[in-house]
Amino acid sequence: MKRLWEIRELSTIAILVLEIAFFAWYLWPETARSHPFLNAANALLILKYSSIYGIAAVGAAIVIISGGIDLAPGAVIALTGVVMADLFVTASWPLGASVAIGLLVGLAAGLLSAALIVLARLPPFIATLGVMGIARGAAFIITEGRYFDVSSRLVGGWRPLGVPAEWVAPIVMVVLALAFQLVMTLFQWGRAVFSIGGNETAALFTGIAVGRVKASVYAISGLLAGVSGVVLVVVQGQGKADLATGYELDIIASAVVGGASLSGGRGSVVGAVLGTLIFGVLRNALPQIPGATFYDRLIVGVVVIVIVVMDQLLLTRRR
Amino acid sequence: MTTGLEFRRVSKAFGAVQALRDVSFGVAEGEAHALVGENGAGKSTLLKILAGILRPDSGAVIWRGDHLELATPRDALERGIGMVYQEMLCFPNLSVTGNIFAGRELTRHGRLRQAEMRRRTAALLDELHLPISPTAIAESLSAAHRQLLQVARALAFDCRILVLDEPTTALTDAEADHLFTILEKLKRRGVTLLYVSHRLPEVFRLCDRITVLRDGQYVNTFGRSTIAPADVVRAMVGRDLPARAATDAAAPSAIALRVERLTRRPCFRDVTLTVGAGEIVGLFGLVGSGRSELLETIFGLFTPDAGRVDVDGRPVAPRSPREAALAGIALVPEERQRQGLFFNLTLRDNLLLPERSMRGGVLVRPARERRAAAALVEQWRIKTGGLDVAPDRLSGGNQQKVVLAKWLATDPRVLLLDEPTKGVDVGAKFEIHEIVRRQAARGAACLVVSSDLPEVLALAHRIVVMREGRIRGEVAAARASEEDVMHLATSDGGGGA
Repeated sequence: MKRLWEIRELSTIAILVLEIAFFAWYLWPETARSHPFLNAANALLILKYSSIYGIAAVGAAIVIISGGIDLAPGAVIALTGVVMADLFVTASWPLGASVAIGLLVGLAAGLLSAALIVLARLPPFIATLGVMGIARGAAFIITEGRYFDVSSRLVGGWRPLGVPAEWVAPIVMVVLALAFQLVMTLFQWGRAVFSIGGNETAALFTGIAVGRVKASVYAISGLLAGVSGVVLVVVQGQGKADLATGYELDIIASAVVGGASLSGGRGSVVGAVLGTLIFGVLRNALPQIPGATFYDRLIVGVVVIVIVVMDQLLLTRRR
Repeated sequence: MTTGLEFRRVSKAFGAVQALRDVSFGVAEGEAHALVGENGAGKSTLLKILAGILRPDSGAVIWRGDHLELATPRDALERGIGMVYQEMLCFPNLSVTGNIFAGRELTRHGRLRQAEMRRRTAALLDELHLPISPTAIAESLSAAHRQLLQVARALAFDCRILVLDEPTTALTDAEADHLFTILEKLKRRGVTLLYVSHRLPEVFRLCDRITVLRDGQYVNTFGRSTIAPADVVRAMVGRDLPARAATDAAAPSAIALRVERLTRRPCFRDVTLTVGAGEIVGLFGLVGSGRSELLETIFGLFTPDAGRVDVDGRPVAPRSPREAALAGIALVPEERQRQGLFFNLTLRDNLLLPERSMRGGVLVRPARERRAAAALVEQWRIKTGGLDVAPDRLSGGNQQKVVLAKWLATDPRVLLLDEPTKGVDVGAKFEIHEIVRRQAARGAACLVVSSDLPEVLALAHRIVVMREGRIRGEVAAARASEEDVMHLATSDGGGGA
């Protein structure tokens, strides 16, 4: 059995807790009014916006563990959102059907990446760079510069399964994270993904269906980006083609901060989701510090490097 | 003779494996000195230290009385140590000139002096009697010319010590002759040669003295005129070779593996062979003879151009290793680290991946797997600190046993082994031989590729010899001599090339 300190996710949780503690202390109000950062409504806000990244990060973590990379999620989020919003608003489809078609679009984008990587044998970086361009371009073609106002058509007080609408996205993120964590650790498929990421040649020589597993990894990543896209449209109340620009890099950074190694074979789904929370807290808290707004991106960049360097130092010391 | 190059108490360990232990010997300036030993004897490690690729844990390398500080390959080059490696290192995309001057380009004010480099290359090629153009792209050259290009590269910069690691493995006899003519010329010019080879006739032809390493230790240095090849072999092996008839000819049995006119261009053509149930067949041939490619094609890694493979009389045409494994074929690959092991996974996962993925279950069942892995560790005597460690904590021999054990867990009908004892110590080697014999006794058909002739002779019932992609003959192991087999594997006559 693993000893407690060997569980990589715990150090990500520790970083998250320290980060929250720091902002709670730094933003502590001088007067008796309520805390601007440490309150339930703000926590829900962080969770809601993080879930857009977090759901896609589940897929990104799996892709990275398999030794690949997926640059498409940002664009796929936008395309899914646009398709869904177009059907829902312009064509007046029911919400469920619009969402279903949106998810199919995400899955299709993932399958396209899979085909390019597994059948055409393109390097994942190039294949998904291409799919990223195609998906973003398709989103622009569909919208022709318009944006779809989803919020006006969403019924107020919508409570799927008795859950307040606000809570849906965070719950979807947590459920997907836990489900895929189990798949990665307790299912043959998950172990195959780890083995391919650790040593693809050996996986082939070991009789693992490398092509099939890799294809399914990119398909899942596309589908999960689709889920993110639906969530984003519902959370922001609108669909437009330049949504989620640059998210792919934030998502990859989250997975890496959560313990994934870009050389493959190492990482965790829950860790990646925790990584998106670390960035979610930063994005939420920094604008509340006067003058810090402009430091947002810089601090995010520094945090990625610091956490990964710390991780590598710990890893070499353990060996 | 003055000692020019000296190794003084050189030691190097990789994890649990002691690759070199207190190795000391001298090479006289201007002599041709052979370094011989079995696989895993430590030759390559010693050469890598001399090339500045590895640093010794302790000990020193001395040249003309001065300690050589060889921290990087560049240091070695600057001291006049040129290397010719077994695997031909070259930049296939660069020209001959580009290869020779790679990393040491002639420049003036930062600009490349192309014409000057081409001129010098032409002079060098002329001197070596190499009929190739300085502007030819390396990729377009024959294997022999690429090998000689490495020699030229070493000579382009006043090299005083030329180290050659098995330079003839991919060469024909005529090409090897050409290489020797060049080497003899260099020797007369005063270049010190350190020559590593398995092929004793070459060693005796070229070298003045022969140093033998065994299991990482220095054994002895012999003068060419004072020793017979058989004595060198005894020094390399360090024991009397096990009785040949240790493996009795297998009783005639049903044919488990039949390969018929299997062809995959350009690697091998028209290969026909059979392996009976319970039989061990050795497949011998030099590197480049197509043996590994043959095994990999039977295992479904490549699609053959023509021919067929039957297992137990039923045709199998695997399109992937997975299909081959499902048809009862297992391959223990040559490069266990690159092709056989997962260093990001535990020993348990490594041992059970093939068996579990063949079985096609959905869930990982940790408790059951722990029991199964523990049984394999016990059965095949794998020395490990536990089931949860990564395989890099194991010695080379035990890593190899892991790769074997993971396939034996699938009860293969046909066991293909590619250099199963490459780089393992003598103890593990005998255990691996024992494992193969037990598999044969269980009724598996075993096809063993090995460059280690004594091993093939000791292990196999029958030996099939390949050269240049074709089967050149077959001998019963009990009656064959090393010379018989080597003759089939190397001679240009007979079957015709």
